[in-house]
Amino acid sequence: MKKIILVLWFFSFCGYPFAVSAKTQPRIPAIPEKESSWFVNLNRFADSAHGTFSCEQCHADMDKGDKVHPVSESSTSLTKNATRLYDYSRCKTCHRKSYENYILGAHARALQKEKAKPDNQHLSGAEPGNAPTCGDCHSAHYARSHLSRLETGRNATEVCGSCHLAQKASYLENYHGKAAVNLGNERSAFCTDCHGAHQCVSLKDKEAALTACRRCHPEAGQGFAEFVIHVTPKEIAIDAKQKRERVALIRVITAIMAILAVLVVGFFYGHTFLWILRELHERLRRHK
Amino acid sequence: MATHNPEKETFVRFSVLQRFLHLFTMLGFTGLAITGFSLKFSSQWWACGVAWFVGGAGHLAYLHRFCAVITYGCVMVHVLWLLYFKFVLKGSLTGPQTLFPRGKDLRDLVAHMKYFFGNPKLPEFNRFAYWEKFDYLAIFLGMNTMGLTGLFLWFPEFFSTILPGYFINIAQVLHLYEAIIAVALKFVVHLSSAHLRPEIFPVEKSIFNGRTTREKIMKEHPGEWKALMAAEGAVVEKPL
Repeated sequence: MKKIILVLWFFSFCGYPFAVSAKTQPRIPAIPEKESSWFVNLNRFADSAHGTFSCEQCHADMDKGDKVHPVSESSTSLTKNATRLYDYSRCKTCHRKSYENYILGAHARALQKEKAKPDNQHLSGAEPGNAPTCGDCHSAHYARSHLSRLETGRNATEVCGSCHLAQKASYLENYHGKAAVNLGNERSAFCTDCHGAHQCVSLKDKEAALTACRRCHPEAGQGFAEFVIHVTPKEIAIDAKQKRERVALIRVITAIMAILAVLVVGFFYGHTFLWILRELHERLRRHK
Repeated sequence: MATHNPEKETFVRFSVLQRFLHLFTMLGFTGLAITGFSLKFSSQWWACGVAWFVGGAGHLAYLHRFCAVITYGCVMVHVLWLLYFKFVLKGSLTGPQTLFPRGKDLRDLVAHMKYFFGNPKLPEFNRFAYWEKFDYLAIFLGMNTMGLTGLFLWFPEFFSTILPGYFINIAQVLHLYEAIIAVALKFVVHLSSAHLRPEIFPVEKSIFNGRTTREKIMKEHPGEWKALMAAEGAVVEKPL
């Protein structure tokens, strides 16, 4: 009986490599790859959500109105960022709701501001500090459909995190990120569950934040939204003095606790180590 | 200590309740450490393994709270026993043979350190030596603070009505670092000083079967032995 239990116990671990490999297998790249933006891998395109489309369905009206199709022989051909040249209002034809939400959101507003600048900076593509358009977050040629909530959420963490680095890091330090991204708990919140996928609300407004919290924590009161999710000193708006102070307080307490831990644990480890040495010494001496 | 068996020369060091509480605290604490650190270090392969083994992050959180209830239940039973011992049995909770910290413990610590560096003379430890008192008090006080910060994290909706929301952040920090201190001390320092050091290796059974021998008391707790001899015949005060 004991042996059977032991064998069963041992075999219960056999699924573990699969569980781990399922977690660590390469995620479906959703971030558009820069080097391939002008050249489409048709095998991957055929597997994507748009795989049944013909090219013309999205690219037909390239020379309509005052637009000119790029001349392939020109020396400047293919040097500009494709996602910045494409007119993404065409996505609206099918993705109306998403597009409207995007237009209302913080990303679209930032893009308008960039375009208003004289130096055409917006042509350099989405990087930290630059505003994104549809193609910066979604790969029109390769993004797949029918992904699970978990896959979508993990992709979102990568995509959002490619610009919002500090937010990604602090989210993964938070229980929401640990449970959702690291341990695959679908009930935990991903980026878009609080900030919205296309409208991208910053949630600096406490009322908006509380509404977001209450989607999962219906009993949350006024004070609940004062919980700091992104505990990071980076990328805090200059006017957010209160958040700055709270992050500083949390970090000071962390530092004090870390020093305390090192002192207490260090003292007792040294104490135990010396004690064992002394007793070994005593034993060896007595056995002589 | 009153049950003196002259044939086998064994004494009762820990009562049934104390053994029971130690066992359950031990199991609960181990469970807390495994589930808690699997949540904290969830990006590590072993944490994913533990999470997978118990069936996901939700079960991990549930088990963590289950173990917390067991462990804190032990603390409450212990407190009830202390009250009963103090007020019904009229026992002493602060005498020299109890776990109450005294000035002698500091002197013992210094003398013990001198022993580490070559002084042949060991201090005369009472029934509970200073490291045993530290082990006990650290976990007794620690379980209360861990329980408090843990409750914050368990019911953030409720506690954020009393205190501002960023106290949950602070509770997280305190909970984490106290957990690191507790695990680093219990699994290494307590285990080595109670079981693994050469004088005792491989295991100290008295916390599990409650029994200790006359030789052991005389060697490890000479102060207690003296007190026992002095009170021979009289009713020995019952320690914790």
